[in-house]
Amino acid sequence: MILFDNVSKLYPTQNQAALDSLSLEIEKGEFVFLVGPSGSGKSTFLRLTLREEKPTAGRIRVAGKDLHRLSNWKVPHLRRRIGTVFQDFRLLPNKTVFENIAFALQVIGKPRRQINRDVPAVLELVGLDGKEDRLPDQLSGGEQQRVAVARAFVNRPLILLADEPTGNLDPGTSVGIMKLLDRINRTGTTVVMATHDQSIVDQMRKRVIELEHGKLVRDQSRGVYGYTR
Amino acid sequence: MRFQYVLSEITTGLRRNLTMTIALVIVVAISIAMLGAGLLIRSQADTTKGYWYDRIEISVFMCNEYSTGAGCADGAVTDAQRDVIRQTLESHPEVDEVFYENQEQAFERFSEQFDDSDIGGIITPDQLPESFRVALQDPEEYDGVVSAVSGLPGVQEVTDQRQLLEPLFRTLDGFQLVAFAITVIQIVAAVLLIGNTIRLAAFNRRRETGIMRLVGASNFYIQLPFILEAAIAGLLGSVLGVIALFAGVELIVGRFIAPNLQFTSWVDSADVWAATPWLLVAGVLFSMLASFITLRRYLRV
Ligand SMILES: Nc1ncnc2c1ncn2[C@@H]1O[C@H](COP(=O)(O)OP(=O)(O)OP(=O)(O)O)[C@@H](O)[C@H]1O
Ligand SMILES: [Mg+2]
Repeated sequence: MILFDNVSKLYPTQNQAALDSLSLEIEKGEFVFLVGPSGSGKSTFLRLTLREEKPTAGRIRVAGKDLHRLSNWKVPHLRRRIGTVFQDFRLLPNKTVFENIAFALQVIGKPRRQINRDVPAVLELVGLDGKEDRLPDQLSGGEQQRVAVARAFVNRPLILLADEPTGNLDPGTSVGIMKLLDRINRTGTTVVMATHDQSIVDQMRKRVIELEHGKLVRDQSRGVYGYTR
Repeated sequence: MRFQYVLSEITTGLRRNLTMTIALVIVVAISIAMLGAGLLIRSQADTTKGYWYDRIEISVFMCNEYSTGAGCADGAVTDAQRDVIRQTLESHPEVDEVFYENQEQAFERFSEQFDDSDIGGIITPDQLPESFRVALQDPEEYDGVVSAVSGLPGVQEVTDQRQLLEPLFRTLDGFQLVAFAITVIQIVAAVLLIGNTIRLAAFNRRRETGIMRLVGASNFYIQLPFILEAAIAGLLGSVLGVIALFAGVELIVGRFIAPNLQFTSWVDSADVWAATPWLLVAGVLFSMLASFITLRRYLRV
């Protein structure tokens, strides 16, 4: 589903590579934690997967597509198959819960009939039914992140990328979000989650990929956050 | 294409950037008015030139009894000399028509011109020269005709109005050039300003556009509301600009210039009507183009 082949990324302003000859493969339906110290290249990995950035060297395949051969105007179609969730939720403050999720479908031209069917369904999946008319600032942090997850998942993507989705949440709320991501993963969606949250990684016992200075230093199935720390 | 979505996006966009939208409309209005004024000045200069070109004549004055000068050594022009001159003129390829004016006719015209004064009483017909008035095929080509007749015996003087009008034509050319330069500068300024306004609008909505990019909205879908916004503002602006142009032509030319300066025909609202479709199209197209170029740089995938 995601294949990195000797990928390096050097940002123009940096002199140290954010990713350094990284090779790894993530299969369809996997749940992968991306760990490593701050600045180790986790977000860069996600951005390259989304084709927000292009690699300096190496090849990337996502959902069967060679990203270096993907022309600019086809990038949106790639992104429709990938859902994304961020630490800061990224909701539109002047739109209700329902509208925020519907927005993601509207802007890719989905018909109203499908929106009216899919949005309530995904709201139920994330446990927010009954709160569809609230504005984001009338929700708790955990609920806002559920909206973000719902928006990422409403189009049934092949891949869900999450960049520290629990970074702003307390441990109890985080567990709720993790259960949600686990449920989404069990529908067959590949989930890649960058995180600093040790207890979550240790509890879930999923595949763990550890980066340091942009290099792969550990790839462990059913792993833990770190042996040394 | 979800039409309703696009529509609501545009209206919220226009409302949210109300001050910017107003600025945009004003900029476009001024530019279009200037552009229209430039076009009108061009066509005015053309009309004026044409008007004068049609009236350009060469006057060949012939000797009378009082004449002095090289060609008039024999005194007043003889019939034979007059025939030679007429022959020369009529056979010249650049000559369109030749009119003869005798001393009586010259006196009548002279008296008409100085209707109110007493000069009519002092001057007598035999003091005035008889002449040929020559209309040219191409008003630019007067040199050949002038030199063909100026040396002939019986010719006192050859004058061509082209020489008199040369400064006028040069001034008109200058006007056209200045109008053109102003128009170009105005368009460049307008495109830059529109670009800036759209960039600000895009910046104000970077949250939305960021999310749209993430969920895979196409560039076209992301840019369309901005471009349509620019088009609407452009249309409003050019309508205002055209109205200003109508008012300007009506007030300045219609009320002030045309009644007082009747040496040519002046532009009027019919000319503005003729330019209106082009001005509206230009206003809308330039706005859309400016926003499109800006967005290509600021809303990349
Ligand atoms: N847009 C950018 N321009 C220049 N350098 C960047 C950019 N984004 C990231 N970097 C650099 O690339 C390196 C990797 O950054 P990245 O964001 O991938 O790390 P991370 O593992 O996500 O860190 P964190 O855990 O703090 O989120 C860092 O040294 C960072 O400074
Ligand atoms: Mg990061």
